[in-house]
Formats: sequence, structure tokens, C-alpha cells
Amino acid sequence: MATQRRILFHWLFLLVAALIPVVELALPGRLHFGDLLRPIFIMAMLGLGLNILTGFTGLLNLGVAAFMAVGAYSYAILTCDIYPFRLGFWPATLVTVLVGLTVGLLLGLPTIRLRGDYLAIVTLGFGEIVEDVLKNLDSITKGTQGINPLPSPSVFGYRFRPETYQPWYYLFLGILALLVLLNRNLHRSRIGRAWISIREDELASSCMGINPMKMKLLAFALGAAQCSLAGALWASYLGSSGEPGNYDFQVSIIAVCIVIVGGMGNVGGVLLGALVIMGFNSIVLETVTNFLKAHQLISSSNVFTSPGNWKYMLYGLALILMMRFRPEGLLPSKQLKAELHPPEPNVPPPAS
Amino acid sequence: MNILEISDLTVRFGGLTAVNAVSLDVSEKQIVSVIGPNGAGKTTLFNAITGLHEPTAGRICFNGTEACRPFGLATAMMLILIGLIAALSALLVVNVEPLWDTAITANYVYQQPFSWVKAARAASHYFAEQPGRRFIVPFLIGALTGLAGAYAIWSRTRRAPEVAARAGIARTFQNIRLFNQMTALDNVLLGMDSRLHTRFWHAALRLSLYWREREESRQQAMEILRFVNLLEDAHQLAENLSYGHQRRLEIARALAMQPRLLLLDEPAAGMNPAEAQDLMKLIHDIRNRGITVLLIEHHMPVVMGISDRIAVLDHGEKIAEGSPNEVRGDPRVIEAYLGKEHGDIPTA
Repeated sequence: MATQRRILFHWLFLLVAALIPVVELALPGRLHFGDLLRPIFIMAMLGLGLNILTGFTGLLNLGVAAFMAVGAYSYAILTCDIYPFRLGFWPATLVTVLVGLTVGLLLGLPTIRLRGDYLAIVTLGFGEIVEDVLKNLDSITKGTQGINPLPSPSVFGYRFRPETYQPWYYLFLGILALLVLLNRNLHRSRIGRAWISIREDELASSCMGINPMKMKLLAFALGAAQCSLAGALWASYLGSSGEPGNYDFQVSIIAVCIVIVGGMGNVGGVLLGALVIMGFNSIVLETVTNFLKAHQLISSSNVFTSPGNWKYMLYGLALILMMRFRPEGLLPSKQLKAELHPPEPNVPPPAS
Repeated sequence: MNILEISDLTVRFGGLTAVNAVSLDVSEKQIVSVIGPNGAGKTTLFNAITGLHEPTAGRICFNGTEACRPFGLATAMMLILIGLIAALSALLVVNVEPLWDTAITANYVYQQPFSWVKAARAASHYFAEQPGRRFIVPFLIGALTGLAGAYAIWSRTRRAPEVAARAGIARTFQNIRLFNQMTALDNVLLGMDSRLHTRFWHAALRLSLYWREREESRQQAMEILRFVNLLEDAHQLAENLSYGHQRRLEIARALAMQPRLLLLDEPAAGMNPAEAQDLMKLIHDIRNRGITVLLIEHHMPVVMGISDRIAVLDHGEKIAEGSPNEVRGDPRVIEAYLGKEHGDIPTA
């Protein structure tokens, strides 16, 4: 059975991901592969949130970094001991998700009737506004310094330490797996079907009795909640809310790239997109830079020779090549693939 | 009994009157056709019935009532809630920083226990001491903006397509509007959507209701696909179906809504005579299931063959109505389709 094979494949994938830190210990040398995977997990969560909005429902959102910032800052305010809340990891995360949900609804309510480019512009503006508010609301957000230090989370009585990455790795992997499960379940239910029908043809879908406003608001709330969850985990990982500039337009664009490169509207595709885009950033570029430095092929004084400085050029090139050769993404949903590669018309077999 | 009563319906787009004072009654379990030259206002009439266009004047009663959202207690509560949220947001925007300072920063000593009662008291003191412009003005502006905005959106979407659809009016489109990248089965399942009971948490956690309803709805959808003879195409993407099959899939999707009234907008367009024959039989079968059919069609053999009544539109006005035979002989209908002979100016 094809479905059984697919389920087996998913479990295998999870098993491999779970074994990476263990195998790494056994290997000689100091590999930090599992360590480097942590930001990838977080960006994958961000991508999943955006995927609900852009991939399923077809609402182009260029401001997901703002949701992430809202998550990171509310988590920081709730846990940091310079504020009176001082919640633990789980309650703070839960409240953060609820805050993200509310912010998503608040942004969704007035903008719900906008479509396409207009919505993209509004969300772009929202991203800028949130960044500026965080910069200027000095007494609450500590302006450009960000809120720090945050206490390390303790989960089920175990206190995390910044030096050992393995517990973090498993925490993020577990949450990511839960999110993937949630997104997949929604995608294959009447809710996902309604979202996709709105992406395809909003008018026809409303003539079928779907309330597009309700479904779009749901997408907004859920997408924002997932993005702010990513933000909360990011803050706990950094031990700081980060500064407002960390959540600028570039982060939103990277999230959009993850969704597009991976394959819009496909949960597995988003994971692959995060792995490719972020992996390229933190693993490939890093390794190449270290290699070149070790062999003294580049000097740090010359900005042009450092591969890290070519990052966005390379992203751009990758996007152009993607659009030319594989516009549906690396791992497309079968619907989009069909849209972008129409099958050959059936040629009747010649009469013999 | 009349299932649909249209009285003096006028739809205007700026200076253009697309439908002008049209009245039409459709009795239950009949097949009624609307014919007329291109641009006569037939599709606009359909759009008005299904809530896509707001009527400029006149009433459309389906099943004795107008298909629009009633203004009930829930609506009022929702409007007030949105107004309240907007008011509180406006209040916060103006006051958040000094409020935070007086209530939280001033009362919190690093890592000492924090008294929320004291903080709440400080906050209420803060508001009591503020001049009205920091308290009442933003609250009022927020509340008014929120209420007015929410009410504007609500009243504009009162007569939305989904309201008509949920009342029991299904339709197909002149230029086929299937969900192309969904399978035929998913298209039909989407038509069934408003009758499903699965909610968000059922779907997210895959509770037993999800599985049960999934199985039931799939079976029903397959049943409908068999009825329109598309069973073997169930797992094909809608856009890969042939033109005639797409037309029938659109009808299947509409039937999945279990409507009481089905509006078909030129279902036979682009069909060859054999396909049109099949379609006529299908429309007959639909009517025999107890569904009233309102039909726009140019294909005269189809119209004359299956209609119980025919209404003729020209330039937005209804010029004739009656049984196929009456309409066929009506001089005004002939005139609308073929034009007037020269010199044959009627003496009024």
C-alpha cells in the first residue's frame, strides 16, 4: 500500500532525525551538525505557519517576522526576571501562542477583504510597524538592547543548559513533529479543503456555502500562532528576545523562500525548504568559509571574498533557477504540480 | 407552491441597468428556463439570486424569506465585542507605556514577590487621574471605529453567496469554475462542506467523528458521482477532465449541497447534440429527485424539450413568460431574437 509506505517513511525520517545527536557523539572529531539543526527546526515552524496562510489559503503574507517577534517578545516578557511574571517554560509558551493567535486575529479582522498584492503590502507594513514599536516602546521592550537574559527552560523538572544542545534538539524536534502532525491533519480535513478552495476560486467556494471570511480568519490566527510559537522557542534558544532588528523584512523573505523552494501547500515540502535554505546558510556556507580560511585563500579584511557576504546573491540566484526549472518547489503538493506542468493531452492509440 | 418569488428586481451597475423590474415566480419541482439574446441580463439575474450582486431595488424571496443574514442577538454581541476590542486597543495604544510604568515597573523590586492587587490599584489610580483626552477620547474613537467598521462589513456581506448557498440555492457557472487542482471527488466533497459537522478540533486531533464523517461523506460523494456518470474519474484532477465532464462535475458539486433550487447557467454550452441529449436526461433526473431547476440556455432543443415554463429576457426586461409553446409563438420573442422587418413599425 502506498499510504503504508508513506507512513513508514515518515517514521523513518523522524527516527533518523532523533538519532543524529547520538550518532554524532560516537563519531570522531567535533561535528556540530545536530547543533546547527536547531535554528533549522525553528525556521521550519515559521515556514509551516506561513504555509497555512500562503500555501493553503493563498494569502501572501510578507510580515511573518512580525508574528515571530511578537512571540519572542511575549515569551521574553513572561519569563525574564526583570518583569514580575516569571512564568515557567510551558505556561509562557502557551500564553505566547494565545497572544500570537490574538495578534493574528487583530491583523486579520480589518484586512480580511483584501486580496493578493494589497494584502501583501498591508502585511509588509505590519512587519515594519511591529519592528518600530518594539524599538520605541522602551520601558517594556528595552528598546534596541532586547530583553535578556532569559532563564533556561526547565521541562518536566529537567533544567536545560546552554552548553549541552541535545535536550534542546529533542524539545524542538518534538514540537516540530507535533506541528507537522497538526498541519497534516488539518490539510487532509474539510478545513484544509476549504482553504485550498479559497486559494483556487474564492467566489465559487463561497457559492458552495463556505464562509471565506471565517476560513481566512482561522488561517490568519493559526498561522500567526505557529509563527509566534517559533518566536518563543527562538527566544528561549537565544536566551534573549533578540533585538527588534532581528525580526526585519529579511526574515519574512527567508520564510517566503522556504515555502516557495520547498513546495507551496505541502507540509513535507516546507520542511525540506527549511533544510535546504537554512542548511545552506548555516552549514554549507560556514563550512566553505572555514575551509577557505584554514587554507588562507581568503582574508577577513576583504569583504568580497567571504562566502557569507554573497548569501543573498546566492538565494536570489537559487530562486531564479527554481522559478525557471522547478516552479512548483522541490517537493510540491500534487495539486500545484499539476497546475504548473499540465499533462500531455491523451493521444488515442493508433487504430490497427 | 412558489419556491422562488422575484418581484420587481432591478440591478444597476452605475448607469447601466442590467435587470429592470423583472418579476418571476418559480414553482416547486418545475424546470423553468430563462432565455434571451446575449447581454439580456440572464446571468445578472442569477447572480442576484445567489447573492453575488446586491439588488438595486425589488425583492428576491426564497422559500418565503429573503436569503440574507438576520440581525440577531449573536450579531449584536459580535459587533459590540469588536467595538470593545477596538476601544481597548485604542486605549492601550495611547496609554500603554505610562500605565506599564506606574502599575508594573514602580511596584516590582527585582526578584521580590509581586502584588497584583497593588498593581491593579495603581492602574486604576492612573486612569482616575488622567484627563479625559487620554481616557475617554481614545476609548470613544476606538469603539466607534470598531463598531462602524464591523457593521459596514457585516451589512455588505449580509446577502453573501454563502448565505444563499446555505439557504438551499446551488448554482453552476457559465464559464466553468471548478477547483481545478482538486480531484473530482474533492470538488464534490467541497460542495458537501456546509452539511458536515467536523469542527476544527475534530480535524486537528482526528477524533472519531472525523473518521466517521470522512467515510460517510466519501460514500455520498461517490454516489453523486455515479449519478452524473463520473465514477471512474473520481480521482482525476478537475482540470484534466474533458469539457463535457467538467460541466457534469460542476452539476455534481452543486448537487452535493442538497439544494432545493438549482441554477444552471448554460449547461449545454459547447456540447454536441448527443451530449446535450444526455444533459437533458440528467436535468430531468435531477427534477425527479425533487429539486427545482432554473436554467439559462441558448440551446433551443434543450430548452423547448425540458422546460415546464420559459421566461424571456431582453435588454434587462422580461418580455414574455409561459409554456414552451406559448413562448415559441410570441411575436415579441421572435422580434427579440430575429429583429424587426423593415417598414413593419407597430402602430400603437
